[in-house]
Amino acid sequence: MHAIANLFPWITNGSLIMIQVMSGLAVGMFLFLVSVGMSLIFGVTRIVNLAHGSFYMVGAYLMVTLVGILPERPWAFWLALCVAPLGVALLGGVIEMTLLRRIYHRDPLMQLILTFGLILVIGTLVLLLWGPDNKSVQRPESLAGSVRLFGQFFPSYYVLVLVLAPLVAVSMWLVFYRTRWGMLIRAATVDREMLGALGVNVAALYTQVFVFGSWLAGLAGALAAPTVAVALGMDSDVLTNAFVVVVIGGLGSFAGSFISAIMVGLLQSFGILIFPAISIVLLFALMAVVLIVRPWGLLGRPEDH
Amino acid sequence: MSLAGVALIAGGSAAPAAAQGKPIRIGEINSYSGLATVYTFPYKEGLLMAAKEINDAGGVLGRPIEFVFRDDKLKPDEAVKAARELVGQEKVDFLAGCISSGVGLAISAYAKDAKTLYFATHCQTSRLTWDDGHRYVAHTTNNVNQYVRALAKKASTFPYAKWAHISPDYEYGHNVWDEFIAYLKQLKPDVQVTQQNWPKLGETDHSAYITSLLQSGSDAFLSSVWGAQEIAFVKQARPFGLFDKVRYFSASVGNPDELDPLGKEAPIGAITPGFAWYDEGMQQRHPKLSEWVKKYEAQAKKEPTLGASWGYASAYIIAEAIKRAKSTDTDKVIGALDEGYEMQFPWGKVIMRGCDHQAIPPQWVGKVKMNAQGKPVLAEVEEHHGQELIRSCEEVAKIRLTAAGQKK
Amino acid sequence: MARPALLAVAALLALAPLVLPPFFLQLLTEIAIAGLFATAFNLLMGFGGMVSFGHAAYFALGAYASALLVKKAGLSMIAALAVAPVLAGVGALVFGIFIVRLTATYFAMLSLAFGQIVFTVIFKWKSLTGGDDGLLGLWPPDWLKSPAAYYYFTVAVVGVAILALHRIVDSPFGSALKAVRENPRRARYIGIDVRRHQLLAFVISGAFSGLAGGLFAFYNGSVFPDFAFFTKSFEPLVVALLGGVGSFFGPLAGAFGFKLLEWAISRQWPVYWPLVLGSVVIAVVVLLPRGFVGLAEVRAWARSARRP
Repeated sequence: MHAIANLFPWITNGSLIMIQVMSGLAVGMFLFLVSVGMSLIFGVTRIVNLAHGSFYMVGAYLMVTLVGILPERPWAFWLALCVAPLGVALLGGVIEMTLLRRIYHRDPLMQLILTFGLILVIGTLVLLLWGPDNKSVQRPESLAGSVRLFGQFFPSYYVLVLVLAPLVAVSMWLVFYRTRWGMLIRAATVDREMLGALGVNVAALYTQVFVFGSWLAGLAGALAAPTVAVALGMDSDVLTNAFVVVVIGGLGSFAGSFISAIMVGLLQSFGILIFPAISIVLLFALMAVVLIVRPWGLLGRPEDH
Repeated sequence: MSLAGVALIAGGSAAPAAAQGKPIRIGEINSYSGLATVYTFPYKEGLLMAAKEINDAGGVLGRPIEFVFRDDKLKPDEAVKAARELVGQEKVDFLAGCISSGVGLAISAYAKDAKTLYFATHCQTSRLTWDDGHRYVAHTTNNVNQYVRALAKKASTFPYAKWAHISPDYEYGHNVWDEFIAYLKQLKPDVQVTQQNWPKLGETDHSAYITSLLQSGSDAFLSSVWGAQEIAFVKQARPFGLFDKVRYFSASVGNPDELDPLGKEAPIGAITPGFAWYDEGMQQRHPKLSEWVKKYEAQAKKEPTLGASWGYASAYIIAEAIKRAKSTDTDKVIGALDEGYEMQFPWGKVIMRGCDHQAIPPQWVGKVKMNAQGKPVLAEVEEHHGQELIRSCEEVAKIRLTAAGQKK
Repeated sequence: MARPALLAVAALLALAPLVLPPFFLQLLTEIAIAGLFATAFNLLMGFGGMVSFGHAAYFALGAYASALLVKKAGLSMIAALAVAPVLAGVGALVFGIFIVRLTATYFAMLSLAFGQIVFTVIFKWKSLTGGDDGLLGLWPPDWLKSPAAYYYFTVAVVGVAILALHRIVDSPFGSALKAVRENPRRARYIGIDVRRHQLLAFVISGAFSGLAGGLFAFYNGSVFPDFAFFTKSFEPLVVALLGGVGSFFGPLAGAFGFKLLEWAISRQWPVYWPLVLGSVVIAVVVLLPRGFVGLAEVRAWARSARRP
């Protein structure tokens, strides 16, 4: 009864429903950017990179530093947005080459434990390098305000995300389906041994994929920085979100990540209206329901389940 | 852990000069790793600053006091483990510390069983000294009840009758909202609750709640979301125009850990409590305050926070209890606490109340404004003493009876 | 692990209270409990080939069941500890039915989801569980309360439980489980009901995890919802892997090594311990292929290599 009473004002207020939809989509787009890197890395290397959230966090912190040292000009934000993910990509490459490469032949679980160790190490390094205080990045002037949408205010920055994320998605699709490198990636997700037998340098491919996935995590962090607090603990917040979105979508399916991200974003937006106290368990309950009904995620491969 | 070890951690600031003899050791368990460090680092600076002053002035009963630190990893069972080690192995005289309420309650339960006196310092739940209170626990800082009532008292002076809230869905969030709305309705009976929002603790995106608040038809709302989560909330809410439509009352946005990062995005006009040591009115009322601040800044290389004042006060309150007992014997110190006492700090009078071992400091509520340098600060600070607000000893006795009845 | 080595360990454990101060007995108690949890977990992972990311749920169910049986139903601690694993096992059965339909990563994820659901129920059902205030004042009866007494009690209970688990692993059921892990299709062809075996393993694993949870509840004196949080689920995983999953006693070795390391490191570096611990974990994974158990083997190999 209470739930319907909560919802009722909404049913009559179309413009607010539309705004709720738009912000749900924006949240979904953030979720997609965060999770697609993890999905990609898993799809090719079969590693669940628990340090993905840590990479996201480093991307956000790098954004803080870059915006801080660059002069206060309109272009500074955009430059920082380009450079920060590169820093994370570098970090990812170093980790892959020095640590992960040594253990590819090992049990995937040992690889998982290693990435768990990375969470501890990277988290403390962030504390050491940036200190314990909360930090913040401001939205660039051009995107600090809001646009009028359906007669309500909608943050302009979210418009950026709603444009950028699908752009990233489309670019990635083009890379995977229209380039040779992308074809190799897709082949590696299906049968990496065969690929090696055909003479492809699979080790180098793995490094490239890990670097690309790290870059995506860094981009997500840098892009999200102006909308949240850049603080310790953001790695674990984002990790669970990414996990759930990737699994619901189907591991290794990048289209699955896109669809599930939108689904989760919208559900979160409306779910809290119907069941105000559900936010704690919403993501996991959703994941449970999906996995019970469709054991390999939305677009995962049935033989994987 | 040896004195040298403590000095290593503290950066050499705990070496006693004037005090002689075997140190009085206090096991301090807190969250020194991870995301709570934004609060516990300044808290520790305040604690050690006070310890040094006390030791330089001759110590307690002629002996230096020394803090032995352990990290609780924000987990109550780790805290109990640390407490066991400190009491059983390190043989500390007393226990202190906590920031998470769950941790505080767990240590308190252990202390009661081990018959060791525990001074809860940074955590805020009123359960510590009320529902779950007992003779082996004392609380050296204010509890939720006091500062929330101060905020509610201020809120009642406004003509806002329709109230909503956004609070994190855990003990603290519920505690704050329940205390706030109960006291507000008491002072202003025409108040009605229009909407309740319960994001999970650590929620990253609040857009759904923000748009919800916008259509709730409320005049004002209370936020007990704190720290990084509140920063995110404010940043997300501004472009939606939330603060222009619904008046913002917050339990914590006035603290520098939130205001400083927000900078130009700070919610101007928000009503919130905070330790505004820089406020002219504060400095006039409390002439010793600016000197204390300078001393703190010289040591910590940073401006003080509310937590820093709590650390400082805690050390002194513990020392005072031991002094009054003229002994480190647990029962005698509990006796000193039972009698209660008052202390003067650079920011005002703090009462240690005997009936529940609860500290009662002054409370400040102000409004967020931009200062001349373009930095957001708390202004128009009003001060009330917690004494006027806190539940009476009789009410506490009733609460304890009800709680005991529910337990078995 | 060889018979003489086992007897030596048993003797050491029995004599410990004569030598060690009470705090270290408590540490050993905690290690024993963690070892039981990890061994129960490893029944599923090492022998059954199923990795669960949500095992903390059964640990917490055992802990809360014990707590509630004592506090609300007035049972004695021993009675509560007998009933709690059954309740945890029932929880494992209910969730397991859904979880064993999946494999590999999806198995892990669904178990994670159910684990978080258990956490949420404990967290929100305040009237029953106390929510995030927890249930306090849960101590063993007076005659078992001293560190030495509870230590003996725990070691005894854990010892019996480990023996039981060992019997299970060595039994025809255990062999069938290993066959399922190796090649489920072939196992099905020779007539093994794969799902039934997996579910049974899941329930047994859950029940013993619940026993560990119950023992922990009285050791700690209080229970909190974070006993069910997914980060707690990683503990038996890390411990078992570091110790060595191939060997039955690997998880116990892992519990001993990891808990000791964790305690020593966080004591020495109250602020930066995660950096040290994380580095150690990474080093162990990279340098010790067989976990801590591998250390003993490396030494044995080195010794044999040196013989003329």
